[in-house]
Amino acid sequence: MHAFEKIIGWISDKLKVAGALCLAGMTLLTCVDVVGRFFRHPIFGSVELVSFMATLAVAMALPYTHQVKGHIGVEILVRMFSDRTQAIIDLCTAILSLFLFAIITWRMTVYAHTIQDAGELSISLKFPEYLIIYAVAFCLLIFTLIIIQDIRETIGKLKTK
Amino acid sequence: MSPTIIGIIGIIVMVIVFLSRMPVAYVMTIVGFLGFSWMISGHAGLALLSRNIYEVFSSYGLTTIPLFILMGQLAFNSGISRRIYDTAYKYLGSTRGGLAMATVSACTAFGAVCGSSPATAATMATVGLPEMKRYNYADELAAGSVASGGGLGMIMPPSVVLIVYGVLTEQSIGKLFVAGIFPAILVTLLFIIAIYIRCYITPEQGPPGETFSWKERIRSLVYLGETLAVFILVMGGLFVGLFTPTEAAAVGVFGVLAVSFIRRQLTWQGFVKSLFETLRTSCMVMLLIAGATVFGKFLAVTRIPFNVASWIGGFDLPPFVIMAIIIFVYFVGGCFMDALAFVMLTIPIFFPVVTSLGYDPIWFGIIIVMVTEMGVITPPVGINVYVVYGVAERVVGGISLESIFKGILPFLVAVIVGLIILIVLPQIILFLPNLMY
Repeated sequence: MHAFEKIIGWISDKLKVAGALCLAGMTLLTCVDVVGRFFRHPIFGSVELVSFMATLAVAMALPYTHQVKGHIGVEILVRMFSDRTQAIIDLCTAILSLFLFAIITWRMTVYAHTIQDAGELSISLKFPEYLIIYAVAFCLLIFTLIIIQDIRETIGKLKTK
Repeated sequence: MSPTIIGIIGIIVMVIVFLSRMPVAYVMTIVGFLGFSWMISGHAGLALLSRNIYEVFSSYGLTTIPLFILMGQLAFNSGISRRIYDTAYKYLGSTRGGLAMATVSACTAFGAVCGSSPATAATMATVGLPEMKRYNYADELAAGSVASGGGLGMIMPPSVVLIVYGVLTEQSIGKLFVAGIFPAILVTLLFIIAIYIRCYITPEQGPPGETFSWKERIRSLVYLGETLAVFILVMGGLFVGLFTPTEAAAVGVFGVLAVSFIRRQLTWQGFVKSLFETLRTSCMVMLLIAGATVFGKFLAVTRIPFNVASWIGGFDLPPFVIMAIIIFVYFVGGCFMDALAFVMLTIPIFFPVVTSLGYDPIWFGIIIVMVTEMGVITPPVGINVYVVYGVAERVVGGISLESIFKGILPFLVAVIVGLIILIVLPQIILFLPNLMY
């Protein structure tokens, strides 16, 4: 199990770096496009490329954001409970999250497959968009595995108390 | 079971699950998905889930969010805040309460390159608190001015809340941005008046600081000039229709980078940190939008938004009474929940009501931001208060939560006065956007 955690942690870390590169890339591309347009040489398909990079940046940040607890939650009530009760509540919500993101991962893969079968290509660049959707599904898979890891940790915490 | 009853059950379940501190975005997605599946079919619910999330992630209109967040993060990590503060300090520092006035002015100026309220509060607390401590300012005034001033970052464009509002209600982000400029200046002035009155009643709250010569003051304007140049480039480009919001944000990122490069104040570590922080915040915001979209689809099929609009219409109350009730709901909601999440959650319900009453959607957007601005400084959830509390511990050895909340009171009154002025004189908001295109 230790190796599993290490691999997931490693992938999540690499995804974060790749996401940051996409973010820097979309900024640069948009700026170059603006300057290019000024000289009547806009970059062809830049809107599509920026959207793809933004999609990848956000999807790749999913595991990292969950790990650093970057999402907003309403803490006000749970904070009043004992550590053990808090851990039990966290376990329940983690299981619910697992259920949700496992379904989303599965459906995203199905969605990518449907688009692939339909042979849909992006409008300007004729890029096979299903590749991006598969990449999003992969990020979601890693995210789901991180939630499983969370659940394992919370159970461990409950056992020691 | 009628669709409306199913909708109400959905909302109740959602509120209960919120209290488990499960991320708001996850809860909205799961309740929206289950509710939609119940109402239409399991298959339709599953299709909605993947398609909606992918559409939100890949929407070109939303690419402006990570870019504006990046612009704010770079400004945060490159010391621009310090220079803005120094300029404001040279002009206002010598009057009674002048340092606090300089702080709120600097918050507005920093808000012009940063779209987040807690980020503005954290930045200005780091710079302003030690200075105010040095001049023996009372903890209340010092902490109150940074926590409240931080909220100005949200009203002054660029503002993440306004982008999200614009996307959800299909309003022009450019118009929303320029609409925020005058209200932000108005609130800044009201804050300055509040500080003046506070120090007039109890002078020991904010003793005067040192006086600078006009030569030094004028020289310091150069520092403000850089930020102003970036702001004018971004907002001016949006205003005259030269850029799309995404392009304006990218140009803004480039502008802040150029300024930090010339000043040699952004380290490589600072740059990388800005990228990672941006990823985290953007992912949080985008997942919230995805959740709100899924939940909004569920609400739409239950017809709750339409029913609420016609139900309220049936009371035959004057529009301003209904508006007052809506504002009150936002105020109370903002006390318990993060501003952005609360806006996203309630927009599908209140927006049809507001437009059916004949209010301008751009005006309503600014009013909502103003109200949620009160939410970020009021107990029990006031995020800026906790941000300032955290920073104060690091930079001035701690300020009690009680002092911060007490210090906020005059500013809260100022925001309420500002809100009343903007309701009575909507032209302050609508004047600039009406000049566009």
